[in-house]
Amino acid sequence: MKKYVLKRVLTSIGTLLAIVLVLFILMHLMPGSPFNDEKLTDVQREVIYAKYGLDDPIVVQFGRYVVNMCKGDFGVSYKISKNTPISQLIETRLPISIGIGFYAVARGAVIGLILGLLAALKRDTIIDTVCTIVSVIGVSVPSYVFALGLSYTLGFKWKIFPMLYDSADALGSSVMPSIALSMFTMASIARFTRTEMIEVLGSEYMLLAESKGLSGTKLIFTHALRNALIPIITVLAPLVVDLMTGSLVVEKIFAIPGVGSLLVNAIQSNDYNVVIALSFIYSAMYIVIMLVVDILYGIIDPRIRLGKEGD
Amino acid sequence: MSDISAYVPRKEDFRLKNETEELGLDSNFASQNFWKEVVIRFFNKRSAVIGLVLILLIILFAAIGPGMNDYTYEGMIQEEKNLAPRVSWLEKFGIFDGSETMTTSVGDMEVNKYEDAGLTDTYYWFGSDIYGRDLWTRCWSGTRVSLIIAIAAAFIDMLIGMSYGLISGFFGGKVDMVMQRFLEICNGIPRLVIVTLLLLILKPGMLTIIFALLLTEWVGMSRIARAEMLKLKEQEFVLASRTLGAGSFFIIFKEVLPNIVGPVITQVMFSIPTAIFTEAFLSFVGLGIPVPKCSLGSLISDGYNSFTTHPYQIIPPIIIMALLMLSFNLLGDGLREAFDPKMKEM
Amino acid sequence: MNEKMILDIHDLDISFKTTAGNVHAIRGINIDLEKGETVAIVGESGSGKSVTMKAAMGILAKNATVNSGKIEFKYSNEQGEQVVDILQKDKRWIRKHINGKRIAMVFQDPMTSLDPTMTIGKQLMEGLLWHFDISKEEAKNRSISLLKEVGINDAEKRMKQYPHQLSGGMRQRVVIAIALSCNPDLLICDEPTTALDVTIQAKIIELIKKVQEERGISVIYITHDLGVVAKVADYVNVMYAGKIVEKGTINEIFYDPRHPYTWGLLSAMPDLSTDDPRLYTIPGSPPNLLNEKPGDAFAPRNKFALEIDDKLEPPMFKVTDTHYAATWLLDERAPKVEMPKELRERLDRMKKEAAEYGSEL
Repeated sequence: MKKYVLKRVLTSIGTLLAIVLVLFILMHLMPGSPFNDEKLTDVQREVIYAKYGLDDPIVVQFGRYVVNMCKGDFGVSYKISKNTPISQLIETRLPISIGIGFYAVARGAVIGLILGLLAALKRDTIIDTVCTIVSVIGVSVPSYVFALGLSYTLGFKWKIFPMLYDSADALGSSVMPSIALSMFTMASIARFTRTEMIEVLGSEYMLLAESKGLSGTKLIFTHALRNALIPIITVLAPLVVDLMTGSLVVEKIFAIPGVGSLLVNAIQSNDYNVVIALSFIYSAMYIVIMLVVDILYGIIDPRIRLGKEGD
Repeated sequence: MSDISAYVPRKEDFRLKNETEELGLDSNFASQNFWKEVVIRFFNKRSAVIGLVLILLIILFAAIGPGMNDYTYEGMIQEEKNLAPRVSWLEKFGIFDGSETMTTSVGDMEVNKYEDAGLTDTYYWFGSDIYGRDLWTRCWSGTRVSLIIAIAAAFIDMLIGMSYGLISGFFGGKVDMVMQRFLEICNGIPRLVIVTLLLLILKPGMLTIIFALLLTEWVGMSRIARAEMLKLKEQEFVLASRTLGAGSFFIIFKEVLPNIVGPVITQVMFSIPTAIFTEAFLSFVGLGIPVPKCSLGSLISDGYNSFTTHPYQIIPPIIIMALLMLSFNLLGDGLREAFDPKMKEM
Repeated sequence: MNEKMILDIHDLDISFKTTAGNVHAIRGINIDLEKGETVAIVGESGSGKSVTMKAAMGILAKNATVNSGKIEFKYSNEQGEQVVDILQKDKRWIRKHINGKRIAMVFQDPMTSLDPTMTIGKQLMEGLLWHFDISKEEAKNRSISLLKEVGINDAEKRMKQYPHQLSGGMRQRVVIAIALSCNPDLLICDEPTTALDVTIQAKIIELIKKVQEERGISVIYITHDLGVVAKVADYVNVMYAGKIVEKGTINEIFYDPRHPYTWGLLSAMPDLSTDDPRLYTIPGSPPNLLNEKPGDAFAPRNKFALEIDDKLEPPMFKVTDTHYAATWLLDERAPKVEMPKELRERLDRMKKEAAEYGSEL
């Protein structure tokens, strides 16, 4: 188990370093950054280079870059909000995005689990068909289509929830976006739960447990659920990625002042510094989530936690 | 059964048949062709067939749709902006007659811009957009672009991912270790980040999008190929081939490859909707196909800007995209079950 | 049902609904078993051995339909002896009164038949706590003594371990302990040794024999391995394509087989002392039960098939009071056909050896 955790931590650090390296290279290649400005005279350039340490060896520069990134010092924004430190821009926006994302995952996971379990237990009945249809639609239809649909009906026509984000009514404003975002999570989890559960229900250990004479509910709760749920943890991490992508557009549609809409703005206005900073944050969040999920998986599954013995 | 059990044995029935040459002919399993079974299982699944039919229909329209009227995808007609859908043979029924409900400060009112502008003989089947372009033509040429991007990306993806996975799985040991660490790192970078960064340095366009999709989608394919390879390479037919002196190349491509066609095709079917979605997302963010060309994503993005006033502009591309993604998912599900029937039936 | 009978399967007929069509898996079989006896059901894969036993435990798959038949089971409770037809009882009743408590099952593959996420101890205690009104402490003590009974050292330590930490043989011992935990009257062993190493196979068989003697329970073996049958069984039922084609005592089946299929099975048994270096196999493969044909299902693979075999299914012919076989060769109108010479010699040799060493076989 220790070896497993260590290996996962090292891979994560490696991945993060690789990303920072790519970002660092991009930083230098990017057209229109102040360091590549052709209007500067040689003298001016030297002054700027000395000020930002650009005449140091490239390795030192990279080292400094890594340290700065990890400290949260991403430099300043050029276009969106001139000369504002990016960390300041992000500070207020990140909690909003994380909050909506968290609601979406939690709601999606719970409803998805219930749907998937129902479908597997009532396999080949009308309940199964309905659950399957719901989950196929959820997986197939992009979250922003749901967002547009919700925004048009609940927001524009019936005016139940605010169409655009209203910081005075943060809770009410996040209902529609988090529903739109949770559809994909819900559908994926429902599908996955159904497949896992069907496989577990057909396994030989379920037959053995059944031959002990246990009741149906006991069979499902003590044997089937536990075995089916362990692999489901692993799909949560990739789902978070899809959630990130979805959040960009959904935040734009509902005008939510989160990091997603900031990234969209930055991309559209070519504010490279902000794009790079947000890329780093997204990657870091993703890597940490993946790491946590993998370690959690190891803790829950005795086959990884205890390793092999005997055989 | 009753007529058989009524049979009364006669004396001449009790004779040895002595048909020794027919013995041992395996009549049960020899005739069961794998592909035939796959096809039967596939066509037994109704949802998969519906998916396939829908995909074929959409491809057909993407091919012939833009040529079905006289408009082009870029031709703008200033006088014919924001016209609601109007179809000649549906007009009589009071639907698709070119009228739309406008929400104004004084309340909702029904307007028909065709009549207001005196365009008696003009028909926009899906309506026209804010620049006066025909949405029917734009939708289907957009579908064409999206499909080309998605299918191209999925297939190149398959080639790269499959080769990577097969090689990694086949050679194992150090090669596998290095290749898998590299893959883990690639997989650790969110797709969103790769795509946005790439599009910052490359010029937006179809090739760039295909390239971006390639960079992000091959990982899944290579995982599947590797897993299958690890499973197959210990099997007897591969070992037999190896003892007969077959080279690595031969074993990978002639022995193993034909046996992983099922999972690979299934994975391709699932990566196509992901590609369509990513393209749509990029267009929405403004990194998609440059104007005046369009894709499903850019159409949705355009329609979004006026979706509260002219909702008909966003509905057709959204429906086409949702149907496409749904159909590919249904098709993928059907193929997966056809290739690998998990259900134990006894 | 006579005095000593514990299980009587009568005219059982089961079919499965599959996507490919209706599979008629069990086509009218009769098996009976007396208290303390061991019966073996022998046949190739897909002949319907396991399905029959799953029916007896009420754990058939959902797509199975019982077309006809009875499975009568006798047990005693506070009110005295009871005879029930398991097929007439609902699942809930079977779970409460039969499964685990009176009929227990040992499955084929110990690698997959234990829940990978639950400790051995929990899986053992589960049945005890469910069926009996005892405390956790009591259940734990009983479990530990069960593990000791099936020959597992450090029982206390093993209780806390997970299945993947045990070897295959150990796991099968655990599965047997689980089966024995609630004192069943009947133990069904579904290919209990097939998935194990040869050296461990013998130990597991000895273990089952030992607990059978000590507890005086009845055992049904489902297997395709005649070597196992020879070691354990009192009676043998040979099954082919959902039917029993020959049944008799162990000596009758081994020394005086009448059905050509049994001849084939016996010839296919690996044997150290034959002169023939080739291993005999029965030609062809078992029939696909999707397409039923009239006549004897074994006829297409039978070297000794008669014309009548294509037209009419043979009835059970009586050889002795305990020995029956379903082949037209036993009809008085049939030509006289002897078993292959090689097999005859082989069986004679086995008989002689058995007499010399004083063992049963």
